[in-house]
Amino acid sequence: MKISWKWLGEMVDLSGVETPQKLADLLTHRGLEVEEVRPLAQGLEKVITAQIVVRNKHPDSDRLSLCKVTIGKGDPLEIVCGAQNMKSGDKVALAMVGAQLPNGMAIAQSKIRGVVSNGMLCSEEELKFKEKSDGILILPESTPLGRPLAEALGLDDVIFTLKLTANRADCLSHLGVAREVAAALHSKLKYKMPELKLLELPAAPIAVKLEAGESSPQFYGIAIDGVKIGPSPSWMVRRLEGLGQRSINNVVDATNLVMLELGQPMHAYDADKIEGKLLKVRPAQKGEKIPLLDGQTAEMQGFELVISDGKKGVGLAGVMGGGNSEVSDATKKLFLEAAEFAPGLVRRASTKHQRKTEAAHRFERGVDPTMVRVAIVRLAQVILKTAGGKATGCSSAALASRDPSKKSAPRLILVEPDYFARFLGFTVPEKELEKVFVSLECGVQKGSGAWKISPPPYRLDLNIKEDLAEEVARTVGYDKIPSTIPVLTSAPTIGSSDPFRQRYDLNLKAKRLLAEEGLYETVNYGFTSMARLKEFGLSSSVKVVNPLSEEFEYMVPSLLPGLISQAQENARHHFGSEPLSIRLFEMGPTFTSAQAVVAQGEMQTTVEEKWKLGLVLSGPGFKSALKNDLKDVDFSDLRSVVDGFLTRLGAKGVRYMPLSDRTAESVRGWVHPGKSVEILAGQGSAGFLGLLHPARARALKLRAPLWIAELDWEAIAALSRPPHEPTHFKPWPEFPPMERDFALVVKEEVTADRIVQIALKTGRPLAKVARIFDVYKGSQVQQGMTSIAVRVIFYAEGRSLQESETEAVSAQIVQAWQKELGAELRG
Amino acid sequence: MIPKLESIGKETLKEAGSARTLEQLEEIRIRVLGKKGSLSEVLKALGSVSAEERPKIGAVANQWKQQIEAALQERKTQLEGEVLSQQLKSEKIDTTVPGRVPHRGSLHPITSVTQRIVEVLGRIGFDVMTGPIAETEFLNFEAVNIPKDHPARDMQDTFFLGPEVVLRTHTSSVQMRAMRGKKWPLRILCPGSVYRCDYDATHLPMFHQIEGLWVDKDVRMSDLKGTLDFFAKEIFGKESQVRMRPSYFPFVEPGAEVDVSCFKCKGTPKDSCTVCRGSGWLEILGCGMVHPKLFELAGYGTDVTGFAFGMGIERIAMLLHQIPDLRLMVQGDQRFLSQF
Repeated sequence: MKISWKWLGEMVDLSGVETPQKLADLLTHRGLEVEEVRPLAQGLEKVITAQIVVRNKHPDSDRLSLCKVTIGKGDPLEIVCGAQNMKSGDKVALAMVGAQLPNGMAIAQSKIRGVVSNGMLCSEEELKFKEKSDGILILPESTPLGRPLAEALGLDDVIFTLKLTANRADCLSHLGVAREVAAALHSKLKYKMPELKLLELPAAPIAVKLEAGESSPQFYGIAIDGVKIGPSPSWMVRRLEGLGQRSINNVVDATNLVMLELGQPMHAYDADKIEGKLLKVRPAQKGEKIPLLDGQTAEMQGFELVISDGKKGVGLAGVMGGGNSEVSDATKKLFLEAAEFAPGLVRRASTKHQRKTEAAHRFERGVDPTMVRVAIVRLAQVILKTAGGKATGCSSAALASRDPSKKSAPRLILVEPDYFARFLGFTVPEKELEKVFVSLECGVQKGSGAWKISPPPYRLDLNIKEDLAEEVARTVGYDKIPSTIPVLTSAPTIGSSDPFRQRYDLNLKAKRLLAEEGLYETVNYGFTSMARLKEFGLSSSVKVVNPLSEEFEYMVPSLLPGLISQAQENARHHFGSEPLSIRLFEMGPTFTSAQAVVAQGEMQTTVEEKWKLGLVLSGPGFKSALKNDLKDVDFSDLRSVVDGFLTRLGAKGVRYMPLSDRTAESVRGWVHPGKSVEILAGQGSAGFLGLLHPARARALKLRAPLWIAELDWEAIAALSRPPHEPTHFKPWPEFPPMERDFALVVKEEVTADRIVQIALKTGRPLAKVARIFDVYKGSQVQQGMTSIAVRVIFYAEGRSLQESETEAVSAQIVQAWQKELGAELRG
Repeated sequence: MIPKLESIGKETLKEAGSARTLEQLEEIRIRVLGKKGSLSEVLKALGSVSAEERPKIGAVANQWKQQIEAALQERKTQLEGEVLSQQLKSEKIDTTVPGRVPHRGSLHPITSVTQRIVEVLGRIGFDVMTGPIAETEFLNFEAVNIPKDHPARDMQDTFFLGPEVVLRTHTSSVQMRAMRGKKWPLRILCPGSVYRCDYDATHLPMFHQIEGLWVDKDVRMSDLKGTLDFFAKEIFGKESQVRMRPSYFPFVEPGAEVDVSCFKCKGTPKDSCTVCRGSGWLEILGCGMVHPKLFELAGYGTDVTGFAFGMGIERIAMLLHQIPDLRLMVQGDQRFLSQF
């Protein structure tokens, strides 16, 4: 909402504030946030009124002109100008060298095609008077020369831009802001409400009718005959343009002006275009087509309110007038409309039909019901002054709740005066309280107990005692509220047993563990494009109905596409010749829905949010100060990260399973079948880790191998040690252990895992640890075979182990290896 | 025999004093004091000496033995010192070569700032609660007093996933979950991601918030201010001030926007300040006293009051870490991530 300092000054005494900026600060601290304070003359400091003495062609250009321009004294200046709309003798706006125009352009002496230009002749666009303009601004002949343009055009106003909150509908007008200022400055409103004599005119030839029940409780019309449509007087144009409104003609401008003055949107019809001597508000018919002022036709859904005459719809009520009844240059008779419409319906209509008009903006926030009849009188008065004519009649219709002759009970809020201290935390004396309410034009009836406060009709936002508490607090000043620490009336929740706290803490622990494993945590959007999903053979069962673009259309089923994108981006960030060691992880939700997405009651939806944990590793495995002395990351690095992570989480029952034909396609699609494992938790799959499938890597044009993992965090979290549960001390063996190393030759397909498992199982209870410490393939062993070195550590609890026992168990283990794996002991 | 002893003794003392290496010294010790050493040989011959002379010669021999041992030891200490200082002189590495750089990972600033806030406000009694991101329209809007067709919905352009299912536009959606799920007193923080149809240099369609909610008997607006004061001082430094300005959020009444004094220019704002751009204040959050409508929907009755606040994590993180561009938060650029 834009507010004019000058206009405001006509409505309320502003002598209590020194500068517009001070007023802006005051308003901001009362909750009317002022975003910008802009003197209209800003940027026009070095723009001077001038006259073109002679316009010549530029010697070196067909398009440009070379003008001699005088400011009334001194030698004429030579100015190069590209516009075509000026002639010798025209008065113009000259930006002198050194000017900094409102559009940011700095004017300097410059050579244009070999000729020095000593300034610039300005267009309205450059002066930011208009969004777009053709040619330069030509001033009236009567303009004096050599004067600042701002002075010559009367641009001595300051415009405030208010960022109003949705509850302060009353401040969508100068009168509303003036009331707020009066309350803030303890000054009186100067504004005089118009006398309502015009409402006593005989009934107009066009009747008004309410056919929408409570959705439109009042409707006033005034007929004016003999108007002359034409341009608005310059003061009106200037006022509207200063407030960012385009001037159209003296009637349309008047409706806009009065709306900005009083907050009531209104409409002027060409009375001759209204058929059936009737205007009414009624619900729209489904499929009904209404031609609108913007030249387009809107098809009604049926919930809207429309204005119609005896035959046709002539406007989308509260949003936009009709294109079939608008005022034109030929209009002689007017019929003015002022009405009240249900805010919710106007909002739905303006949203549905995508017409966020000034009128809809006000109606959907609610207008002052007592202002409707005042505003139409004011509008008629302005039109009579600017477009002539004679008011010939007045029609009206109002429900009982809006009938001014029936006194309806005022809104009353009951509140005990000591409530404010209890609620706000500091005492405001009763006298002070009363002053606050009086300054806001609230009625105050004091009693022995509760006070009865009746808010003024324009403050639709004041309904409960908490609303009054805000009025008190903001009038006294939020800065007067003291700081106290709230009282803890009970013990805090036991975090270690509260499931929300537990999960939060476990998430944080997991992230910290991965950071300790050397990975950087990252964040991706929860939605992505179908194209991106397809690249990975994925689909999504949860779609954004109204996406920003295709890029953000589907909720992610996996974190990996986002992580891989970021890995790809990072791969481009070489620092010198060194490739970057890429290591990222993300923890976040993935989204699925077993059926079309719907809400299931108030608290549930069909969308399942499953949290996952994604990892990507690529590039050099180690960063040395001197040289990259380790090779690129490999499976072992990835496995080490995941192993370390799961161990320190205390995840119980998590196992690895090499990929096979039985592995789910959802896993096999991601990774190289021979260089990956599936993670099993309990009975089900809990993710996988391995090398990104070479087919995908090729499609993505990856240069380096990318190692990836995705864990079902819900499953892993459920198996993890609760984050607050302490680990228990385990004693180490008191008696010395015995070690035996074995070199086995096995077929390639025999896994290290099996060798370890057999050793531990067969060697129970003495074989405590079995560890693979070398894996060799090559010239020393037969083709198709692998040599694997295993160390088994034996010990007995509470006693010394005998050499013979160890030998016996070792022999059993070797036998088992031979029997179950066909392993041979190597020399 | 005595002259022989003297001759061995004198000679050996001289030799020991001029020995150049520990090996020479050892060779001398063996040659003189060893089992077959010259001094030992003399002592062995002591048996053939008369009983009267034996003690006398024995005493002289012992004397020399002790003298020689002392001299050898002294020279040994000297030589060892020389060897050590020689070793220290010759052994040298270039200690200006930096150490190997292990990989250290890090938490995203969104995580660490969220945790910092949870930690700080946890000290005055807040617990943690969370809710889903795909949320019912009811919990996101109606339950926080934003009915359908209410202009306040303009404040948050909403992504829909289906009929009455939205991507939550604020963590305030957790408020009603918490209130319906638990009895008061209620003191919770709700961190998490939220979505709005807004995408430009200063808005991302997804960002993070943390919501605070405190409901109990006799909670006052001054308690809200005190909580935020404490928060600001812990997060932005102990000189920080907070300023509340009246504002409007449908789920609170009264409502306020909160500014914190600029922690960079500290009370003497300069236009050149890159943090506050000269205003001296930084807008950080919205808050207010819980609207009674919410208690009604929660079935709480009229005997409670409460306060709520919500803030953008990215905003706080950008201020604290002086991050110039919001988009860095979601780009996964390791040059960025490795700084935290």
